[in-house]
Amino acid sequence: MSIQNAPSETSVFVAEGMTKTFPGVTALEDVRLSLSKGSIHALLGENGAGKSTLIKAITGVHRLDSGRMMLNGQLFEPTDTRDAISRGIGVVHQERNLIPRFSIGENIFLESLNAHPLRRIDYNKLFRDARVWLEMLGVDADPAMPVHRLSVAKTQLVEIAKALSLNSRILLLDEPTAALTPHETDTLFKILRQLRDDGVSLMFVSHKLEEVQEICDRVTVLRDGKNACESQPLEGLDRQAIVRLMIGRNEQIPDWSARDRSTGKALLQLKNVSTSLGHKEIDLSVHKGEIVGLYGLVGAGRSELAKSILGKFQVTGGEVLVNGSRAEIHSVADAVRRYRIGYVSEDRKSEGLVLMHSVLENVGMPIWRRLAGLAHFLTNGKIRKHTEPYIRKLEVRTPSLEQHVGNLSGGNQQKVSVAKWLAAEVQILIIDEPSVGIDIKTKAYLHELIRELSDNGTALLLITSDMPEMITLADHIVVMNDYRIMGEIDNTRDYDTMSERIMTLIQGEELVAAE
Amino acid sequence: MSGTGKEQSVGIPPAEQASGARLTTLRILLSNEFGLLVLIVLFAIIFSTISPAFLSKFSLYALGRTSAVNIMIGFSMMVVIITGGLNLSVGSIGVCAAMFGGLLMQAFAMPWPLAVCGGLAMGAALGALNGFIIVRSGLHSFIITLATMSIFFGVMIFLTRAESYRDISPAFTSFGRMKLAGIISPLLLVSVVAGILLSVLFRYTALGREMLATGANERAAELSGIRVHRIITYCHLLSGVLAGVAGLMLVSRTGAAIPSMAGQLGQDWLLPAFLGPVLGGTLLTGGRVSVLGTFLGSFLVTMLTTGLLLMQVGAFWMQTYLGLLLLAAVLIDMVRRSYLTRRKLI
Amino acid sequence: MSRRFWETDWFGPLMVVVVAVAVVSILNPSFLSPFNIQVLLLAIAVNAMIAFSQMIIIAIGQMNLSVGAIGGLSAIAFAGMMEVWGIPWPIAAILALALGVLAGVANGVLVALTGISAFVITLASLSVYKGVNLGITEAQPFYKIPDVVKGLGNDTFLHPLPWLIIPCVLAALLLWYLLNRLPLGRSILAVGGNEHAAELSGISVRRVVIVAHAISGLLAASAGIMLVGRLQLGQPTIGDDWLILSFAAPVIGGAILSGGHVSVAGTLLGVAIVAIFTQVLVLFNIDPFLVQVVLGVLILWAVGVNRFREVRALKHSAQVAS
Repeated sequence: MSIQNAPSETSVFVAEGMTKTFPGVTALEDVRLSLSKGSIHALLGENGAGKSTLIKAITGVHRLDSGRMMLNGQLFEPTDTRDAISRGIGVVHQERNLIPRFSIGENIFLESLNAHPLRRIDYNKLFRDARVWLEMLGVDADPAMPVHRLSVAKTQLVEIAKALSLNSRILLLDEPTAALTPHETDTLFKILRQLRDDGVSLMFVSHKLEEVQEICDRVTVLRDGKNACESQPLEGLDRQAIVRLMIGRNEQIPDWSARDRSTGKALLQLKNVSTSLGHKEIDLSVHKGEIVGLYGLVGAGRSELAKSILGKFQVTGGEVLVNGSRAEIHSVADAVRRYRIGYVSEDRKSEGLVLMHSVLENVGMPIWRRLAGLAHFLTNGKIRKHTEPYIRKLEVRTPSLEQHVGNLSGGNQQKVSVAKWLAAEVQILIIDEPSVGIDIKTKAYLHELIRELSDNGTALLLITSDMPEMITLADHIVVMNDYRIMGEIDNTRDYDTMSERIMTLIQGEELVAAE
Repeated sequence: MSGTGKEQSVGIPPAEQASGARLTTLRILLSNEFGLLVLIVLFAIIFSTISPAFLSKFSLYALGRTSAVNIMIGFSMMVVIITGGLNLSVGSIGVCAAMFGGLLMQAFAMPWPLAVCGGLAMGAALGALNGFIIVRSGLHSFIITLATMSIFFGVMIFLTRAESYRDISPAFTSFGRMKLAGIISPLLLVSVVAGILLSVLFRYTALGREMLATGANERAAELSGIRVHRIITYCHLLSGVLAGVAGLMLVSRTGAAIPSMAGQLGQDWLLPAFLGPVLGGTLLTGGRVSVLGTFLGSFLVTMLTTGLLLMQVGAFWMQTYLGLLLLAAVLIDMVRRSYLTRRKLI
Repeated sequence: MSRRFWETDWFGPLMVVVVAVAVVSILNPSFLSPFNIQVLLLAIAVNAMIAFSQMIIIAIGQMNLSVGAIGGLSAIAFAGMMEVWGIPWPIAAILALALGVLAGVANGVLVALTGISAFVITLASLSVYKGVNLGITEAQPFYKIPDVVKGLGNDTFLHPLPWLIIPCVLAALLLWYLLNRLPLGRSILAVGGNEHAAELSGISVRRVVIVAHAISGLLAASAGIMLVGRLQLGQPTIGDDWLILSFAAPVIGGAILSGGHVSVAGTLLGVAIVAIFTQVLVLFNIDPFLVQVVLGVLILWAVGVNRFREVRALKHSAQVAS
């Protein structure tokens, strides 16, 4: 890996003073960025630092409030996505962006097809061309197959093929490896390096710093919508230095020693469980006061397992035990009301909170029935009495309890979704990606809270893709891949050895499959 | 959203507290209910200036009586809209309930209170059936109630051979024709009582809160332990009962249960059913309700219709006016909402 | 991985048609008489246009309640222009079609620009269009229809094939070609399948929505004009009873209401099923009011089957993935 020429000489894309505000939020403020020819540029930042907004501004989804972008020395003001594509900008978006019922081939070439709305589509040629891209990425699939039949990893690879097929001179990749196994990632990186050598400018967004250090040559870091550094050579920056740029100070890993909580009573046990979603032979137990971490790639089936435990999806085999005895959970209501199991969703906005309702309504939701009197009668006062202590305890910053949750910051929203389960006094709490979209301070606070909850006897199942978070919090780590459990290890809290062992476990099956 | 926590931080700064009262006033002035009241007063003045007959005792009485039915129809749609769904079969259910009530009074010579209960039970049953099919199939209520609207109406016509029941108990019809204090119809009181009960349901009961939560975000509600399927079924059941009330009100007013009283397949009720809640600020995507708004919205629509008819402004064009009114209402609502969001008032 | 023929959308409806025709013609041989076939084809020709008009909107994941109102307005415009202004029928037909397109575009523009749900917009426009219809006609039909139009609406060009079947077949072929071979049609399905993704792939969602509504208006207007010929008068009530049918046929044909998937052949078979069932009620002297019940039950049955197939497909893909 070598550093290319200085950015000023070969910059194909330069942006200055990029500013973008949304109602109540300044997403980007005076941001600078320059991409040079034949380089892989890392764009880093915490969740909510403005990375996605930046990408959306370059690709014509959002229009900037002020600032200017130059492409090949010309002013670049994309009016919409089509405009950006036609100017040679390709993107792999973070969200899944394929048309589910369309074939792989048609999805890959959707952009170019659209250029001539009334010209007959030659499907034979289209599938032939698609096969080339699939083979390049090592995807073994028929281009005529509809994409909704693909696994998450293959879907992601099709998205990458879609972006590559545009032959863009600038290619933006937003978390392209989130669902990929190390092997698939290696294949992708080979292609990215090839593109770089062909003179393409790539921008790579990832929260896996190891990957960034492996493949990128320059880095721009965003913090709170501002540049923490701009197009700086990556050489000479170590992991610590990058993290410092991202969070604005040294990474503080709480000095929590390893502990063994597996001696307590098992509050939640899964024995040889299989589910209607395809989980097989799942064995898992969470003890009183224990934090069990569930690690895996995106699409490994972790959230799906959590929802199966909750009764949202059917458990088809094996048994679920709560408090040592077999639990009959037929709906989420059973899990919440009878077995006191709570679930903090990774997707706050669409399934964690009711954004258009107040803080009070949201926190009270699981206990309305419990509090209601004769003929379901229930007043705000009564709900307030039972929820306010928890809202206070978590220091939710809100003008009033009547404030709509949608108006709170990400961190405070997350506090509300946790407060809900504290108020419900759950004995088992499943927390899915607790630090998505929240600021660094709240993150540290939540970590302490999770630790405190476990000390008070709650059994916690922690799902996270954030390796440092997993190693900071979990007592015991279970590794999942492809809807199966690949293995489990006690957490020694030594980052390097633990992360290596976890990745080996994930890869385990791949090696076996390859033989 | 990138949340740094700065924007919404901490309690309430003193300066803002001072302007809090002003904000509240502004919020009220910009509310749907207030806007509707202004419009009602405005149109009342216009109509009565052009045609003094508008304020005659009989005219006011007739307005109250007609709006009572429209308000119930609006309520019937409202309780399903809050779940984010629709009930196209309100008209069908209303007519079925009315016909069943008529049948009980005429063919079985039941006393009218029993027959009314029978009619409402029919409404409840059909509504519950809608809810059951929607929940079980996991399909949108639009297509299900489109189908059941056709089925309910077809079966009713088949069984009644499209004939009316005119042998309605006199006590029941006199209720519909009674005048309290010279101008008030008891039917309007029924609607007021229904409105009060619905307000209590949504404000002071766990069930009502669960309905709103389910409508606002079904997935989040389910993951919080609410039995969303059951709640949706209840909403449809309630909608059936309210449609039944509207149907029986019509029977009491006209003195007969007529299969065509809501038009082909009950389609004539659809527009008033949506106009009330939409004008009143009930969100079509679910989760937010305004009982008072629906009440005022339905009243305004009835008043406009009555007033225009009184002024003999082309009865044939009436539907066009109502359509334009609906369009104007949703467009104004959109503008108002974006203004409120920009000013961070909601 | 290619789909087997019994997994296609049209296989189920086709079997229903074949079995129904077989059973009915055994019970009542007059069912297959040329006259009866002509009647059946006439019904199918008009109803198919109505169904296509809704189908194209289902494809983008919306609904159009004003299909009937547009059809009715175009029908009385067609008849009215001929009677009142004495315009020759081909020109009147073209103008009426243009009116239909205009009404559709108005729907499309309102939906696309405001982002308000198509349900509310088309509920409002339904009553606007219907109100204009009643305002113009004052609920009285136009009676002076040229004999050519009456003839085209009822006669056959090749016994028992009626003239009306020609525009219907033409529309079916063009729609099939559009939705399966042309990027424009694929964009329509892409917007229905995943609007956000379509937008990011450079498809102009607004334009696609407006185009779909324009096509819907055109087809609804065609159905209205065809009905004027068939009924031999410009009835203001034309279109009043289209709503249920317009959803029944596409849904029976496997259309997914959330958008992104419709079948032209399936919709055509859906129309045939409805026509056959209606005809059977007449043939066997069963209460015609039951037609409504049959339509309703057909919709429920069809959405149930579609749902089942979807769930099974999902399960299947879960197994493939793991």
